[in-house]
Amino acid sequence: MNPLEHLLRAGHAEPGQALFEDADRSLSAAELMEDAAALAAALRDRGVGRGDRVGIALGRGLDAARAVYGVLGAGACYVPLDPSSPPARLRHIARAAGCRLLLGRGGTPGWAQGLDWLDPAAASTTAPAAPPVAVRPEDIAAILYTSGSTGTPKGVAIPHRAVRAFADWGRDTFGLDSGDRIASLAPLHFDLSLFDLFTGPAAGATTCFVPERLKLAPARLVDWLAGQRITTWYTVPSLLGFLALKGGLAQRDLGALKCILFAGEVFPTARLMTLAEQLPHTRLYNLFGPTETNVCLYWPVRRERLRADRAIPVGVPACGAELRIDPASGELQVRGPCLMAGYWRDGAPRPVFDEAGWFATGDRVSRNDRGEYLFHGRLDRMLKSAGYRIEPAEIEQVLNAMPGVSGAVVLGLEDAVSGTRLAAAVAGDGLGQAALRAWAAERLPAWMRPAYYVLLDSLPVLPNGKTDHQRLRRCIEEELAACPTT
Amino acid sequence: MQEEIRAFIFSELLFVDDPAGFGDEDDLLDAGLDSMGIMRLVLFVEERFGISLPDDELEPDNLRTLGRLQRWIERHR
Repeated sequence: MNPLEHLLRAGHAEPGQALFEDADRSLSAAELMEDAAALAAALRDRGVGRGDRVGIALGRGLDAARAVYGVLGAGACYVPLDPSSPPARLRHIARAAGCRLLLGRGGTPGWAQGLDWLDPAAASTTAPAAPPVAVRPEDIAAILYTSGSTGTPKGVAIPHRAVRAFADWGRDTFGLDSGDRIASLAPLHFDLSLFDLFTGPAAGATTCFVPERLKLAPARLVDWLAGQRITTWYTVPSLLGFLALKGGLAQRDLGALKCILFAGEVFPTARLMTLAEQLPHTRLYNLFGPTETNVCLYWPVRRERLRADRAIPVGVPACGAELRIDPASGELQVRGPCLMAGYWRDGAPRPVFDEAGWFATGDRVSRNDRGEYLFHGRLDRMLKSAGYRIEPAEIEQVLNAMPGVSGAVVLGLEDAVSGTRLAAAVAGDGLGQAALRAWAAERLPAWMRPAYYVLLDSLPVLPNGKTDHQRLRRCIEEELAACPTT
Repeated sequence: MQEEIRAFIFSELLFVDDPAGFGDEDDLLDAGLDSMGIMRLVLFVEERFGISLPDDELEPDNLRTLGRLQRWIERHR
């Protein structure tokens, strides 16, 4: 069944129920159906059909929600293209996904030259309205491009089966219904947005888009949450930590806020305790899983078990996931309905599972005596910053491509206030900080750009010829300590 | 104080080609200062100068330029 039909047929949403809201407009279930069906007809008119990919270059909001359901209504899959990313990256992703058409505002931007571009507001069609195209559970609903360890962005292909499993699990686990109001702040290309876009409608709840500027004004954001009577919010620990410190939470009436879910990075326990104290009546949940599995573990926060010097568990299986731990490496392996179909390459999802269907996450875990899973870090070099996942190899590939660079290594530096920050050690001739920054800014989104650069004549190597990461880390820390910062 | 804040911003939070040429009324947010940067900046100012900046006033208009930030801090010294 198509997600569009599912909306009303499942009986969760009444036709008049508001499913999406922004500052001054709302979109009812019936209006969403109608708008999405019109866009789907316009897409079909342009040759888009089942199995095709359609890029969505729109920021969070009602138009993006219409576009997502319109693309799915046509039987196609959507590919978020974050409008704030550098043009070169957007072009790369649109081409790698093989997008048949791109949806965005206004005329075709420079990076999309040669690709079909459609402004949904200007879309008109002579095609007769038709019912949503039937999709199968294994058809792809979305391809989310995330940082790739091979040096280029990697497309995680998420089938309808996984979207459905996550939407239904969220609705049932958090007890959501048509009385709930969900705050949405996650950009479309970030997997947290799947909750806002699909779990909300599956529960017949209202997803409310947070005005972008409130991210920079914590007390106003808290006022907004209170004024909108938000009941449920899925966001990242770094932003919640900001609110706990500077949001004036204790002075506001957040009695409506039943539930906060967080994921994307480790929540420092001391900061979580500050948040928990200020929100005594809000249930808190730690959600866990890479984009490839979406949420495969969760832990309902038990306040009495929080200790400032102990990391919180990632908890118990979620979304019907089966989990096991590789005895040799301690690696978490996952299979089940929430799993991706594979990485998108050359027109199809390429599975990366073993013969029994297990996906190796690269996360190191163990279980405590209560049977809960604990997270101990990565087996590879992947980093997390402000909820985003970052593969150092992708940044290194960009820096290595710069003329004059003979080698580059990117490391994460831990920072008690804002989590991981990126440092790049770059070797080569005639390099300058400003030129390196400018080079990175043209090719990488803001969250992947190194904060610090250390210039070296050559990278230190181990006797076996490999780069000596430990020595490099000491080099970087010494050089930054010597910087006249304050 | 102005110079210390400037040094902190341009060595820890924001990287521009020519920090010395960044004017007191140039826009820090347009230059890339984000929410985590703002949090670090406010915590730095509070700790370094022993002041408390009210949560209610933490908004872009009070810190989108070095000049505005300076005036905001002055009101609470």
